[in-house]
Amino acid sequence: MKLIRQLLFAASSAWQNFWRNLAVSVAAVMSIALILMLAGTSLLLGHALGQVLDSYRHRVSVLTISIADNTPLPAVYDFEGQLQARPDVVSVRLITKDEELRTFASDPRNQQIIEQIEGNPLPAKIEVSVAHLDDIKRIDALARQWRGADRTDPTDYQGDFVTNMLRLSTWLTIAGLGMLTVLTVASVVIVMNTIRTAVYHRRDEIELMKLVGATEWFVRGPFVVEGVMTGVIAASLALGLLLATYRPFVDRFRAELFFLPLAYDPRFVPVLAQDLLVAGAALGAVGSYVGVRRFVRL
Amino acid sequence: MLIAPEFDSRPVISFQQVWKTYPNGTDALRNICFTVPEGDYVFLVGASGAGKSSLIRLLIREEKPTRGRLFVRGQELGSLHRRQLPHFRRQVGLVFQDFKLLPRMTVHENVAFPLHALGESGRVIAHQVGAALETVGLAAMERSYPDELSGGEQQRVAIARALIHRPRLFIADEPTGNLDPATAWEIMQIIAHINATGVTVVMATHNREIVDVMRRRVVAMEHGQIVRDDRRGKYDEAYPAAALRR
Repeated sequence: MKLIRQLLFAASSAWQNFWRNLAVSVAAVMSIALILMLAGTSLLLGHALGQVLDSYRHRVSVLTISIADNTPLPAVYDFEGQLQARPDVVSVRLITKDEELRTFASDPRNQQIIEQIEGNPLPAKIEVSVAHLDDIKRIDALARQWRGADRTDPTDYQGDFVTNMLRLSTWLTIAGLGMLTVLTVASVVIVMNTIRTAVYHRRDEIELMKLVGATEWFVRGPFVVEGVMTGVIAASLALGLLLATYRPFVDRFRAELFFLPLAYDPRFVPVLAQDLLVAGAALGAVGSYVGVRRFVRL
Repeated sequence: MLIAPEFDSRPVISFQQVWKTYPNGTDALRNICFTVPEGDYVFLVGASGAGKSSLIRLLIREEKPTRGRLFVRGQELGSLHRRQLPHFRRQVGLVFQDFKLLPRMTVHENVAFPLHALGESGRVIAHQVGAALETVGLAAMERSYPDELSGGEQQRVAIARALIHRPRLFIADEPTGNLDPATAWEIMQIIAHINATGVTVVMATHNREIVDVMRRRVVAMEHGQIVRDDRRGKYDEAYPAAALRR
């Protein structure tokens, strides 16, 4: 019961202090909001890049093997079975010559060609989906060794593209982690110093609290609660601004760079909101805890 | 050699060869030895820099002795752990020259503050704050803010706050230093009343008139040493300091 009363007192003190020191509170909110805007922007960019990369990754993680016209059907089934048995293969689909022609003919852009061709010059194909992008090179090598593969154009493997994709993906992950680390350190330092300034203005109050028998946690509590409050307000502000600009930005981007598979993703909004609110609360709490520590020590 | 006055009751405060040396090498206190029995009323007198404030800082365990042992109500302050400090400080009532009131809190909130730190219920807080404000004659002003009060009233609020834990030891550092003579006497009457209830009082002061009129125990300090300890002393009695130093 006493603990609850102390917590309530800490919460009410935090609320009062937030409004009584409005100028410092606003400064703290603005600096945290700015940091969270940067973090949120990098999260959104990361998500957008992830979307683009996923789309390309999906495309290149499917290898199409062209089958030479004279290959006996049992040999095709046998090779299909071999592929299906591999742990690095997710799925295998056999596309007959007729299916391939139907698909080709269904594309309106190919109408003129269809009228000019005789018979079916298109090869039957085996479509192989792999679990990981780096597995595709092995499947490609296997397909090229198979006697049934079309000699002129055995697969649609785009070696350089896949390698570059993998390299880009790795670099983006490293850059993202680096940026996140820099942002985290910078934000803790900024928040800590902002809150330390606020605490410095109230050092007499803290001194008095200690002299009348308040415990370190009783003194620290209101500051930590105030830090959480500041962080959550800043996160809400940052989130509002990001959400207001996210969709217009994506629409503008798509209009300019229509070939990139970038789309507004409403499912990402709750994830972003949760990340920013948790980060804001954590930043405020850690910044206050560290900022107030020197003054609170009995 | 200093002779501590003889008292029958057990000491509330006991300085045993206490030294306080600051990092720059200054000896703020030198070989302090004296005891204060329960219910005593002690004036600490001496010029600025004599060591009064250092002695009070040790008494409230803002600082630790460099050498020697200091006991307050049986607890050795030098070996007190940080976690034990809040509990210790709740046993001591503290009043300062500059009142140290929180300007954004009302009189009631200022006095209630130490009880909030303990997580006391609203009913207990209302009762104890009411009683403490009654003792200092400010029950009618509990909704006022410190800047709406005179210096004497602010000091009375500070006294009420110091009494809220019902301490057995009351320490005042120049409590009348910022007050006019008439107001200073009001404060002294309140402190005398507190002492009359059995609370031990230690008060550092420069106020010659008060010390001379009250005729209580006087501990005089000079250059970090106790140079005089009189049972019913005056501010300015011829210091035996010169003799002691010889």
